Amino acid sequence: MKRLQQQTLLGIRDQFGSYAWDDAEISELVDPQLGIITGFQELLDQLELLRKVDLGSIPPAADISDK
Amino acid sequence: MSAQLAFASIGELAGMLRGGEISASSLVQCYADRISTLNATSKAFISLDIERARAKAETLAIDSTDSLLKGIPYACKDLFDVKGMVTSGGSRVLADNVAQHDADVISRMDQAGAIFIGKNNLHEFAYGATGENALHGTAPNPYDQSRLAGGSSSGSAAAVGYGLCAAALGTDTGGSVRAPAALCGLVGFKPTFGRISTEGVIPYSWSLDHVGTLTRNAADTALLFNTLASNVQTPAATKLEALRIGIPEGFFFERADTEILDSIDGLMSFLSAAGAKLIPVTMPSMEHSRTVSLTVQMPEALSYHNRYLEQRGDLYSQDFRAGLALGQCLLAEQYIRAKRFIESYRRDMDRVFNGIDILLTPATPAIAPKTGTVEVTIDGQAEPVGNAITRYTSFFNMTGHPAITLPCGMHSEGLPITAQLVGRHYGDEQLIAAATLIESSYGFKLPLPVIN
Repeated sequence: MKRLQQQTLLGIRDQFGSYAWDDAEISELVDPQLGIITGFQELLDQLELLRKVDLGSIPPAADISDK
Repeated sequence: MSAQLAFASIGELAGMLRGGEISASSLVQCYADRISTLNATSKAFISLDIERARAKAETLAIDSTDSLLKGIPYACKDLFDVKGMVTSGGSRVLADNVAQHDADVISRMDQAGAIFIGKNNLHEFAYGATGENALHGTAPNPYDQSRLAGGSSSGSAAAVGYGLCAAALGTDTGGSVRAPAALCGLVGFKPTFGRISTEGVIPYSWSLDHVGTLTRNAADTALLFNTLASNVQTPAATKLEALRIGIPEGFFFERADTEILDSIDGLMSFLSAAGAKLIPVTMPSMEHSRTVSLTVQMPEALSYHNRYLEQRGDLYSQDFRAGLALGQCLLAEQYIRAKRFIESYRRDMDRVFNGIDILLTPATPAIAPKTGTVEVTIDGQAEPVGNAITRYTSFFNMTGHPAITLPCGMHSEGLPITAQLVGRHYGDEQLIAAATLIESSYGFKLPLPVIN
């Protein structure tokens, strides 16, 4: 997986019906300078690992029933 | 107001109310006086309703057949709707959000005769475990005012911790009741997911949010749970000798303050000597649990707050906006996959509970950090402070198991050390009963905080 680029997130913002985040906020996600979000690239890397785990037919979690 | 009364449990106060030693009105006034003196320090309350509390107290006639909550002053995190009051979420965004109805849990407390006195400070919209709030200030720890009370139910923990009310309600999405309770030496409880209604409570993450309680002891937790939940069962009588207590290997005993581990060891030794069976258990892999939790939290938070972003987006704090922006950039399949991992965790945990009654862990890996701390370093490894505070609690928001924290020691730096007990799904009653039994048998008495 390639490293996240600002243009990708700007495309989501402008073309996916997203809230109009400031350019600076998008930039912070890609290249953190303020320390507000420090791990988005790390999160994506972790999610890529999770994508490779075979969960079989396990469904998404729903309510918990009283067994 | 004597410290003895300010720090009395609900059970003790109920006895005094029934015995005529105090009246509900005098109790409300005692707390009101204490709040007026200490709220600037504790930053526990962001709104008060003392007049309505006084009016209700004056109408109460308490007898021995009433709920033990009758006449007991309590508070709630400012995410809960109380009719006629602003529900702000600790944010400028909802500064004009006057509730039209009581939240379900507020109605239940009202029907039991408990007296609502005010709303507590919090991390804005429950986003964060430090309780830092630029608008209302950061609630300090009652045992050391240079340290955090913890969050996100920071004001709820401070309110009980500073002796400003008998109990408080909070919300727990990753440990936001249990962690501040643990850091402030209180009993924090979150039920089985869905067991206490979140109706009328501003959501943070629907899949993970739990309404919880902060009290002075486990018996008080039972009183609140019996009022807040439906279909409450009387727990079967239990003895320490009959308890099968799971001790998880690895994760929960790694990278933790050695004095915390020593205190938990001390509790385990006591339980073993008393006849409880301590059973090593292998937990599901926790390696990716924070990733899974975050991947569910942020899109859900964005989905709720989207209604306010267009008109009031500039009123959010910078850090919460950054979190919401992250939620915008995750893929739907990543969110669904995270929820499938949660189901997988639940199934694995159900297997763990096949051979045990409760699970025992430390509640936090560290004592309350200094206010302003960015990272906590343990065993040479740095970790963002919010992650550290909730490292041992957040997994059970995903699995939905009931969990309760109990003070069990005092750190050499003068801060409480706390254990966490986790029960089976819908085993809330048994969990609280076990906690009450362990608390009374172990006999640990946390010294009261010295509050200037």
